[in-house]
Amino acid sequence: MLQKGTAKKVTIFINEDTQHHLSSLCDSILTFLLHKGVSGATATRAMAGFGAHHEMHTTKIEVLTQHLPVRIEFIESAEKVDELMPTLYDMVTDGLIEVHDTQIIKVATKERPAPPLGPHTELKGKARLMRIYMGESDKWRGEPLFEAILKRLRLMDIAGATVYRGILGYGAKGHTHKSGLLPFSRDLPVMISVVDSEEKVTKAMSEIESMMQDGIIVLSDVDVVRLVHGRPAMESSNANG
Amino acid sequence: MRTVKPAKLLRLHFGEGEQYRGKPLYEAIVHRCKELKIAGATVFRGLEGYGETAEIHRHHLIRKDQPIVVTIVDTEENLKRLIPEVEEMMDTGMIATSDVEYVRIENPATAAG
Repeated sequence: MLQKGTAKKVTIFINEDTQHHLSSLCDSILTFLLHKGVSGATATRAMAGFGAHHEMHTTKIEVLTQHLPVRIEFIESAEKVDELMPTLYDMVTDGLIEVHDTQIIKVATKERPAPPLGPHTELKGKARLMRIYMGESDKWRGEPLFEAILKRLRLMDIAGATVYRGILGYGAKGHTHKSGLLPFSRDLPVMISVVDSEEKVTKAMSEIESMMQDGIIVLSDVDVVRLVHGRPAMESSNANG
Repeated sequence: MRTVKPAKLLRLHFGEGEQYRGKPLYEAIVHRCKELKIAGATVFRGLEGYGETAEIHRHHLIRKDQPIVVTIVDTEENLKRLIPEVEEMMDTGMIATSDVEYVRIENPATAAG
């Protein structure tokens, strides 16, 4: 299973009709990667191209449709790529292999939820609670600010955040947030509470600060009492709520 | 430059049905906070809860009695001025304070749009 962070991306350029032990080289490589437990690999057939032999292969002219280029790509950890590379090197007798550094932003699987022992498990104990106060109608690049902040927190792998809508309030901007008669013209106060380790909360705070125009951020120390599936399910503290 | 300042967080818990001189108590408290020039106050409505009278606060068809939490963040001195006033206004309920740090954000440059 791939993890977020740095990884290697391998791209192999070969010919569609190159053979390897009586089957197509492309199939052999994919089968090999599958057996080795690589998270995923994709083979794409090109529309046109040329390689080391400097012969044009294209689908446009029937005589030249043979030897079309095929590209196989997969992403794996550096150690795994190291392990696979000698065999791949041996298999590709006609073609090109390149490896580049890449950054994995998201690994999402539908059937299986994230492994229960996530990186947040160590959160249990001392943590920081951050409350962010803003208005419901505040915007960030055209989308509601609270939604933008929540999305950003998720991207940063923050253990948990909850958005609360107040029913009345005033604050930084000096005007009263109150629900009007028309439901779509309201500007009620919104508070987002975030719990994670001090280090991650501080990092998240500087990101959020640059997104906000106005408002306050309130920090306090808390104790995380229980965690389920890598997320804090309950927190108790001298400052909860 | 960001300045993190120590402050106090005050939380008032009571029921939505509480009244003060014919007005909902939470409106009266927010109004009083403004008069006392408290930095800010926010009112939240809970879904369900119970308190010292052990009566469950929840949504009834005709009677509004969900739990209300008013949160106020300001300096200790300002809250010392506020607490006796609020205490007098509240019949039942709870007042809790805790130590926090706060950051005031003013970024007029980050134009929304």
